[in-house]
Amino acid sequence: MTREEVFERVKEILVETLSVDEDKVTMEARFQEDLETDSLDLVELVMTMEEKFGIKITDEEAAEIKTVGDAVDFVMTRVDA
Amino acid sequence: MRGTQGKPYVSPHWVTDAWSAFTDDRVVRVAVDAVGGDNAPDEVVKGALAAAGPQLNVVLVGDEPRVRALLPPGAAHLSVVHAPDVIGPGEEPATAARTKTGSGIVVGLRMVQEGAADAFVSAGNTGAVVAASVLYVRRIPGVKRPAICTIMPAMPAPVAFLDVGANAECRPEFLRQFAIMGQAFAREVMGIPEPTIGLLSIGEEPSKGTPEVVEAHRLIADDERIARFRGNVEGRDIMNRLVDVVVADGFTGNVCLKTIEGSARAILGALRATVMLNAKTKLGGLLIRKDLQVLKDALNPEEFGGALLVGMNAPVVIAHGNSRARGIAQAIRMGRRGAVSGLLPTIARELGARPEAV
Repeated sequence: MTREEVFERVKEILVETLSVDEDKVTMEARFQEDLETDSLDLVELVMTMEEKFGIKITDEEAAEIKTVGDAVDFVMTRVDA
Repeated sequence: MRGTQGKPYVSPHWVTDAWSAFTDDRVVRVAVDAVGGDNAPDEVVKGALAAAGPQLNVVLVGDEPRVRALLPPGAAHLSVVHAPDVIGPGEEPATAARTKTGSGIVVGLRMVQEGAADAFVSAGNTGAVVAASVLYVRRIPGVKRPAICTIMPAMPAPVAFLDVGANAECRPEFLRQFAIMGQAFAREVMGIPEPTIGLLSIGEEPSKGTPEVVEAHRLIADDERIARFRGNVEGRDIMNRLVDVVVADGFTGNVCLKTIEGSARAILGALRATVMLNAKTKLGGLLIRKDLQVLKDALNPEEFGGALLVGMNAPVVIAHGNSRARGIAQAIRMGRRGAVSGLLPTIARELGARPEAV
């Protein structure tokens, strides 16, 4: 998968599962400050990413994912491109 | 007001009779956390036995040998699913919901997620029930935050009150959504045909309140989905029933709920102590004992069973932690009502259909 494809899929998760405004989803967007997600939303995001991408994310790794870009980068290191 | 006929108050049966009088022919399966709550599993099992019937099948989720030992032989319309773990009261909700997959709460909610049950009831760790509901049952598309909607035994008739604890801080948009969901709850679960809505604030004027409440007032007033918005209400208007549905953020709602419960307990305690003072007061107490018992029943939270987490894809009922059998049975019946009524399709239609314009 290309970086753009992963971004589009992460964006889809954010919009459909967490009801985030599509216009606000950029690579630089911070989950808490810009996308207004709370800690439960982030757990839900991590679980959905695990399901959709077929990967595992530990709690320590999840704690480091602060922006949409971080999430995309993480998936890129786990999924065969 | 319909049904009250000038009485000072109506009994909870005004709302709850409809939960037991099935007018549909569905068989609804309700999964129940058998080990959550102060009086589990004994009282939970008793409540399940009381509620179970041909159109309401109960699935008790918990430590199977322990639960089965409490069931009489031949108990019908009731089954047990094994869940060896328990989420304790002090555990961090989101972590427990994600990791304790063998707990009654997670197993029960996954049954709903997978279609093996239509509703879920628990008297256990409220935060964990909310977190696990969000993770497994999921929000109805368009719902930004679920809200815990409780029924307050106000005078002369009950009112819906949300959010009483799921979201400590709320953006104005959440409060607008709570108004829409509360309206649906009042109509579909409480049977109030055209509910009036009030926004809890510190004064009647639209300019009163925090910036979030002031903005929420504007959003709700302008929203055509909310049919009868009466404007701001104050704390004292809840028990005096100025409106059918009161909307607040979860922090304020929770503080308010506990304040009301504590006040009622203190006043009833003082009333009891007054009756016991001397021979004259005891005689007076005897004379009105039956009437006082009716009032006590009207104020008994066990009659409503618990609160509904509105905004989820299936009814999730959060029973009071100290529920006994009656409270559990009523919570199960509320779950069934949530599943067969128009509650879920109404919320899906009203919150999913259009983008939220600010």
